[in-house]
Amino acid sequence: MRPDASILLLTTSTGFGYGLLAWLGVEAALGVMPAGRMRTLVAAGLAVSLVLVSIGLAASAFHLGRKERAWRAFSQWRSSWLSREGVASVLTYPVAIAFGIIAWRHGEGVWTRVLGVAALGASLGTVYCTAMIYASLKPIRQWHNAHTAPDYLLYALFSGALLLAVIHTVVLGAPGALASAAAAAAAALALVAKRAYWRHIDSQKPLATLAAAIGLPKGNEARPLDAPHFTENFILREMGFVIARRHTAKLRPLVIAIGFASPLVLSVLAGLAVAPMTTTMLALVCAALGLLTERWLFFAEATHVSALYYGRPI
Amino acid sequence: MTMLPKPRPGAKKLGLVVDLDTCVGCHACAVNCKEWNTGGQAGILPDYDKYGANPDGVWFNRIHSYETEGEGCSRTVNVPRSCMHCEDALCVTVCPTGASYKRAEDGIVLIDTDICIGCKLCSWACPYGARELDEVEGVMRKCTLCVDRIYDEKLPPAEREPACVATCPSRARHFGDLADPQSKVSRLVAERGGVDLLAELGFRPTNKYLPPRRATIPAEPPKARTSGGFGAALLGLLDRALSR
Repeated sequence: MRPDASILLLTTSTGFGYGLLAWLGVEAALGVMPAGRMRTLVAAGLAVSLVLVSIGLAASAFHLGRKERAWRAFSQWRSSWLSREGVASVLTYPVAIAFGIIAWRHGEGVWTRVLGVAALGASLGTVYCTAMIYASLKPIRQWHNAHTAPDYLLYALFSGALLLAVIHTVVLGAPGALASAAAAAAAALALVAKRAYWRHIDSQKPLATLAAAIGLPKGNEARPLDAPHFTENFILREMGFVIARRHTAKLRPLVIAIGFASPLVLSVLAGLAVAPMTTTMLALVCAALGLLTERWLFFAEATHVSALYYGRPI
Repeated sequence: MTMLPKPRPGAKKLGLVVDLDTCVGCHACAVNCKEWNTGGQAGILPDYDKYGANPDGVWFNRIHSYETEGEGCSRTVNVPRSCMHCEDALCVTVCPTGASYKRAEDGIVLIDTDICIGCKLCSWACPYGARELDEVEGVMRKCTLCVDRIYDEKLPPAEREPACVATCPSRARHFGDLADPQSKVSRLVAERGGVDLLAELGFRPTNKYLPPRRATIPAEPPKARTSGGFGAALLGLLDRALSR
């Protein structure tokens, strides 16, 4: 599948934003924010989170053929995960803002905890809807599997934890035990999950053979003779994207090293109070680059069964 | 509304039956489809770089040719590929706007291009690659089963069929109601063992494909040449020379 810049930006940027909102909700629900600095933490965290989410959602409109009709996408939440994502993302704003207002005015308290849980649920719910857009597409075996939805949630929590550590460091001078531990643990889990995902898609069989795609019984073999057209068309540009094996072989280790291993080590260092400002910021930059590459690969490595008709690998 | 319609008793399932045995791969169906759907007052199938080095455009129907081997013979199989008007049409349910829909009365899958936002998700959901983006209007396009022909009462009844079916010179394309077991198309499917393409993916396509028949014309065994003197030898020589 063709990696579209606006969709890469959408899924990574909202991942950071919703991940951060989820962790702010966790902290509020557990009542672990330092009482004196809670207002600053929540205000700064929400501002960063909502800006990132808004950038991502705005980016998503850029891949639409008719941007002015984007509002129509909120109507089909009964069947469409894309519509559900739209509805969930819009509903998350008032929840996040109510959470901010209550935390600002009342500090610790029952309502802050309740709204913290609500913010956690709304943000992860939106990420889940995004993931399900891909996971529900049966013609794409690299997306339609049990890895996609948990992985998206995990990467959101991972990127959010790194952002939380940066905000803690800026506001409080140190990331604190919870944020560092969360970031390191999420990085480790994300690394394991990505490797498991790659193992899974590498061991999958193609969804169909060309002979089955043209209705021939078993025991027949088919190979393309004449294509319907001699230039690329929409189907081939969009669905027939083929990534060279040597590029995959180069990019996968890069994603592991920059996207997950470096933030893991840097988060541990930050937790041990080794130059926390530098280490947390560096971890964030590494993760952003790594996750953008990871998302590019998520598209580039995905194959669509319709490319089979053109004899392309699926 | 992008929920799939509930099955109605007695509802039609209009679709195509394509005979892979007799399709000669001439692309006439694709050309007539293009002509019908792009002509008239509201042409909807754009072409890009028409006279340039990389011509491209939107087509509802694409004809592939394949070499196949198996069942003791090898052959060329031509496969026209267009919307299958699936019963489990994922392209319909993924649509966020309600632009993509399946008609309850005859099962035709259509796009309301007045509300389509061009998000392309339906094209990702279609395993047959039957949906193509109109890059001029920014909306998705797909086969309409010539809904504007098959119900047009101004046309003579014999012409109320999709353009691709009307034009096929080898009569490899058939149109009808696949919900009615007595219809011509249903009987064809039953007689010839019509199949779904990519059946294992479970989209339950309405369109059916009749598999190519095995070549059953037996070759006559070569006759033993009988010696019949000079005349026969001369005829034999002539025969060999002429049949080279």
